[in-house]
Amino acid sequence: MLETTDYRSKPDRSVPSGEEPGAAIAARSLRRSFKGGIEAVREIDLTVRRGEVFGFLGPNGAGKTTTVRMLCTLLPPTSGTATVAGLDVVRDAAKVRRRIGVALQEIGLDPVQTGRELLELQCGLYGMKGERARSRTAELLDLVGLTDAADRRTKTYSGGMKRRLDLASALVHSPEVLFLDEPTTGLDPASRLTIWEEVRRINADGATVFLTTQYLEEADKLCHRLAIIDNGRIVAEGTPAQLKAEMGHDVVSVSVDGAKVAVTELVMAGLPGLERVVAEPDGLALYVEDGASSIPEIVRRLERERIRAGAISVAQPTLDDVFLKATGRRLEGQDADQPGAGVSA
Amino acid sequence: MTEVALLGRRAVREVIRYPEATIPTLFIPLFFLAVNIGQVSKTFPSSTPFLKGEGYVAFQLPVSLMFAVATATSGLALVTEIDLGYFDKLLVAPIRRSSIIFGRLTADLVRGIATSTLVLLVGIALGAEIRTGVAGAVVIVLLSAFFGVAYAGFGLLVALRTRNVQATQSSFLLFFPLLFLTPNFVPFDRLSPLMETLARINPVSYVIVGLRSLVIDGWDGGNIAVCVLVIVVMGAVLTGLSLRVIATYDRS
Repeated sequence: MLETTDYRSKPDRSVPSGEEPGAAIAARSLRRSFKGGIEAVREIDLTVRRGEVFGFLGPNGAGKTTTVRMLCTLLPPTSGTATVAGLDVVRDAAKVRRRIGVALQEIGLDPVQTGRELLELQCGLYGMKGERARSRTAELLDLVGLTDAADRRTKTYSGGMKRRLDLASALVHSPEVLFLDEPTTGLDPASRLTIWEEVRRINADGATVFLTTQYLEEADKLCHRLAIIDNGRIVAEGTPAQLKAEMGHDVVSVSVDGAKVAVTELVMAGLPGLERVVAEPDGLALYVEDGASSIPEIVRRLERERIRAGAISVAQPTLDDVFLKATGRRLEGQDADQPGAGVSA
Repeated sequence: MTEVALLGRRAVREVIRYPEATIPTLFIPLFFLAVNIGQVSKTFPSSTPFLKGEGYVAFQLPVSLMFAVATATSGLALVTEIDLGYFDKLLVAPIRRSSIIFGRLTADLVRGIATSTLVLLVGIALGAEIRTGVAGAVVIVLLSAFFGVAYAGFGLLVALRTRNVQATQSSFLLFFPLLFLTPNFVPFDRLSPLMETLARINPVSYVIVGLRSLVIDGWDGGNIAVCVLVIVVMGAVLTGLSLRVIATYDRS
């Protein structure tokens, strides 16, 4: 596993100074299996520092939610250990629950209650009463921009409003560690941006955020560090920049007719500096040490074989490339459901 | 205790805001009351010895009361909550898991008081005379409501075990044999030998007999004590099982 760089040197995405020593989350050989021999999480090791936004990136079924449920005390590990806020998630489950906030993938709202009632109840469950609960509720409603809708039943809320209210309900007790399980899945681009802003603000206020996502851009833009999980195993870990830098190459995309992809792949064999070729439906992705200097040779080879290329472009590696390198395949559904489509933040 | 009160208040709010979940549960008991009286009131006129001068409506009233309070409504609310993910939100809050069950049962008590009061008033309007007076009527309502609370444990248990809406909804059907293998139409001694044996081993029979005694006989300590005992034991067993299941929910 990769050791992290000192991200405090990056002022734009830095962990707040004055952080407490020790990990906010630490998992050792954490494993969870289910009936039928399904190994959802396979002995993962994980360390999340206090004050960071940690991304847990992976496709559906990779083990993200199972990991979150174990760390949130909702599911006991089959083996291994985990601590959250310095407390064991099995032995000290009740204490852990006082220190964490949780917004799970399924938005946990009671449709019969209004937003205000739901938050006041949540305050009550965390021991706040009377005026204190009412003022905290008002504060949170304001924070997530739901004051105007506070007295409507939550079943009338849009998806984005529900997600924001769920987030607010996870914040009533100002948790040390906030778990967000795919907080933007299914949201429109504007709502996603709002959630991203909330996450940044919550983190800036001092909470450690553990965020699962299947969206590369979300992990790239929000997270100080991230781990990629696939098939229950962590296959890469580090800062987004570090992971991309470790790819050590550029990606040259060559667009060709689908029927000629296989031929083109053969033509590119032995290209100087070539590390990997990935055939895609409408072209090839060539992972080369130096993209710009490889282009003349790529063009020469295409011309020699009379293959007409639609477009050739050079790009820096993305987290998708990191995922591809780590797992041998691209993260599913990125093109169709990428949150960054039409979004900039 | 605070958390039970908070969750109970929420569940009661749900009952008030979703009358469509309660109203259908009133239809069956009122329908049975009307149909049964219409069909057999001439067969069993008030001169029938076991009616002790009352109309048949008085004899049938406890059966309708039990129909009104024995529902799977709480189980359905819980399984819906599991389905929606709010149950996880409660599990991850720093509260005792038992408070989720007791919060639901609080709503059952409130719902039971409301529905049994209504059914009792309909029964009185149809001619039933409560021999134990207003105090007896209050006891009838409370015993009925607590029977509903005790029975609700079964729906909660099915909801927690199956996590399935259809299964939880179907759990209500179990109440039909429990209610009909009783002296619901006639007293024990008028039943066939086999039916009498089944009715005598069915604990629900003694709840009906206890409630009926309050309507027809007056204050009968023995019948009431047995009725209370059945409700307490049934509640302890079913609620106890629900508490056990919720305590180990997703913990294995």
